[in-house]
Amino acid sequence: MTTLPSKKGIFTASVLQNRGMGAQFFRLSLELEKRANAFFCAASAGQFVEIDVSQLALPVEKLIPENLADSSQRNILLRRPFSFADIDSSNDCTIIEILYCVLGPATLRMKTLKTGDTVNLIGPLGNGFTIPEEKKSAILVAGGMGAPPLIHLAKVLKKQHQDIEITAFVGAKTKNDLAFFDIKTDKLKKKPDITLHQFAKHNIKTFISTDDGSAGFKGFVTEMLKNRLGENKPAGAETIIYACGPEAMLSATAALSGEFKIPCQVSLERLMACGIGLCQSCAVKCKDKNGGDVYKLCCKDGPVFWADEVIWE
Amino acid sequence: MKNKNIDLTVNLGTLKLINPLITASGTCGYADELDDFMDINQLGGFITKSITLNPRLGNDVPRIVETDSGMLNAIGLANIGVEKFVQEKVPLMERYKTPFFVNIAGQTIDEYVAVAEKLAQCKRLAGLELNISCPNVKKGGITFGTDPALVRQITGEVKKVVNDKLLIVKLTPNVTDISEIARAAVDSGADILSLINTFTAMVIDIETKKPVLANRTGGLSGPAIKPIAVYLVNKVYNEVAKSAGVPLVAGGGVRNASDAIEFIIAGAAAVTIGTGSFVNPDCAVKIIDGIEKYCLRHNITAVAELIGCLK
Ligand SMILES: Cc1cc2nc3c(=O)[nH]c(=O)nc-3n(C[C@H](O)[C@H](O)[C@H](O)COP(=O)(O)OP(=O)(O)OC[C@H]3O[C@@H](n4cnc5c(N)ncnc54)[C@H](O)[C@@H]3O)c2cc1C
Ligand SMILES: Cc1cc2nc3c(=O)[nH]c(=O)nc-3n(C[C@H](O)[C@H](O)[C@H](O)COP(=O)(O)O)c2cc1C
Ligand code: FES
Repeated sequence: MTTLPSKKGIFTASVLQNRGMGAQFFRLSLELEKRANAFFCAASAGQFVEIDVSQLALPVEKLIPENLADSSQRNILLRRPFSFADIDSSNDCTIIEILYCVLGPATLRMKTLKTGDTVNLIGPLGNGFTIPEEKKSAILVAGGMGAPPLIHLAKVLKKQHQDIEITAFVGAKTKNDLAFFDIKTDKLKKKPDITLHQFAKHNIKTFISTDDGSAGFKGFVTEMLKNRLGENKPAGAETIIYACGPEAMLSATAALSGEFKIPCQVSLERLMACGIGLCQSCAVKCKDKNGGDVYKLCCKDGPVFWADEVIWE
Repeated sequence: MKNKNIDLTVNLGTLKLINPLITASGTCGYADELDDFMDINQLGGFITKSITLNPRLGNDVPRIVETDSGMLNAIGLANIGVEKFVQEKVPLMERYKTPFFVNIAGQTIDEYVAVAEKLAQCKRLAGLELNISCPNVKKGGITFGTDPALVRQITGEVKKVVNDKLLIVKLTPNVTDISEIARAAVDSGADILSLINTFTAMVIDIETKKPVLANRTGGLSGPAIKPIAVYLVNKVYNEVAKSAGVPLVAGGGVRNASDAIEFIIAGAAAVTIGTGSFVNPDCAVKIIDGIEKYCLRHNITAVAELIGCLK
């Protein structure tokens, strides 16, 4: 991406709310100290923060899921990256929302955050999604845990680009893994209709897929996307795809972007030691101008890349 | 709130640092990355990422993994190569007053010498740091820094081409007797020794039964290694550096002022911050304040008094 690097800083944030959405998924609202307003007012969808979780307490033993019992004993050293699922920044207040999934020792600790607690974070980091001028339609593709930055992007598009028509494709392993969303189920039907509130409130047409067929289309989100693109054949110059999710899904989306000649931006994830370009741990293999290979940094050059600049393995 | 009564300066050979805090190679980029978080001019010195003769892409990912109070890295010396470094990065250093050292690496002695020769021409640089934790391709991949004869040879050859630049030799802890290696470096012209580089280590994913890092092994850094590093620093100080009058640049797991002071007491003239900057990019500046407070509390007027004062 080619946006100018924004200024970043280290800030204290206080927890407004940390609400469970099912056993594994949480929504964390943070209010940043005032000094942060100037840094976050121009933050874009797709950027992220690095949260210091090393000081946070573990849940009491009986609340630690069995599969995390061993890894929960590990001391945490490094900060953890999280995208914004929403951000409200004005002159006097910055509130960011993070949707996270409990997967390991850091996110397990985050579960114990209570209203009024404080955390330390670095941000805003990386380069977010860009919205090219001539676009009339945007296709959002979220796989697994890739939903948060796209939820933010949907809001930005709705607010600032009313003329762009948005369609969302959301895929997960099972219905329960869609839990980043507020789900409304129409229980009266045999196979219930599911609406994802975050998209529904903006009237975004949403297609859902699950690997096991427990909701929506049975299969991968990219299969569903391919079917739709095949039927509708959107014009490449007027359309853009935004994708975030597991690497295999992004790679398949990138292939569709090539096949249907629709430009595509992907948000990638890497293990990050610093998040600010110091360590080179977050390498992404890309094509350079002369056709050779070059490693870019996910934290500094990304996490959003053009699908056709990445070398997919 | 600088306390004018406390002298924070330390000497590295002919060079006087405004304070003992230096960034560790490979953990602070090329300096500009840190601008948003602190004033680089407040640092005693800056050591860049390892630079090699030709650009290197580095290893596949995953390149890092977190461990208990530490992390492994196998970045693979990814860097832009000496040519581009001199053209693009050295001019950026003009913006700062801080003394810069460039860490150099290679696969053959000739490569080290070629890089050193180029960098010796750069007026802006205070010195070079020799990373001898690299495999020697001509000697079947044995690490330069584990063989005293190779250390003698590589230090001697590089010393011949560095002109007036200070030559730091950075020791690897992955040896039986670190003092033997330290002696070899000092005997063949090292002006300063730095220690320690990372400990070779492995993390296994028990589900896949494969190492987590693409490179299989990586170097352990962070608080987990600090007590071993303090011990090795004190050993080298007592057995080699003190009598030879060679200053030590030392670190391993430093993240606060107490950690830094421990290293100084053990014998370090300057302290490096590596992994600590990943967690708190401004930690070096906070450590400087902390050292000042410690000195006040202990009625010490000059930090240099603390160097090697272990009872
Ligand atoms: C730019 C960016 C934005 C992110 N945004 C979000 C978000 O909005 N919500 C959210 O829930 N998570 C997000 N993540 C992932 C999040 O950082 C990790 O889930 C978290 O660090 C896990 O920490 P842990 O100690 O709980 O688990 P760990 O034990 O560290 O990890 C649990 C499992 O997840 C894998 N994993 C962890 N981090 C990554 C990564 N960066 N890339 C690929 N695999 C990984 C590990 O290999 C392991 O299998 C984001 C990551 C990046 C790089
Ligand atoms: C991500 C990373 C990259 C590193 N790269 C280099 C390098 O290029 N050259 C080098 O001599 N040392 C390198 N090191 C070693 C550090 O300079 C330092 O010696 C070591 O990490 C121990 O200090 P610490 O615990 O404070 O990090 C690297 C360390 C890390 C964590
Ligand atoms: S995470 Fe350190 S450079 Fe990207």
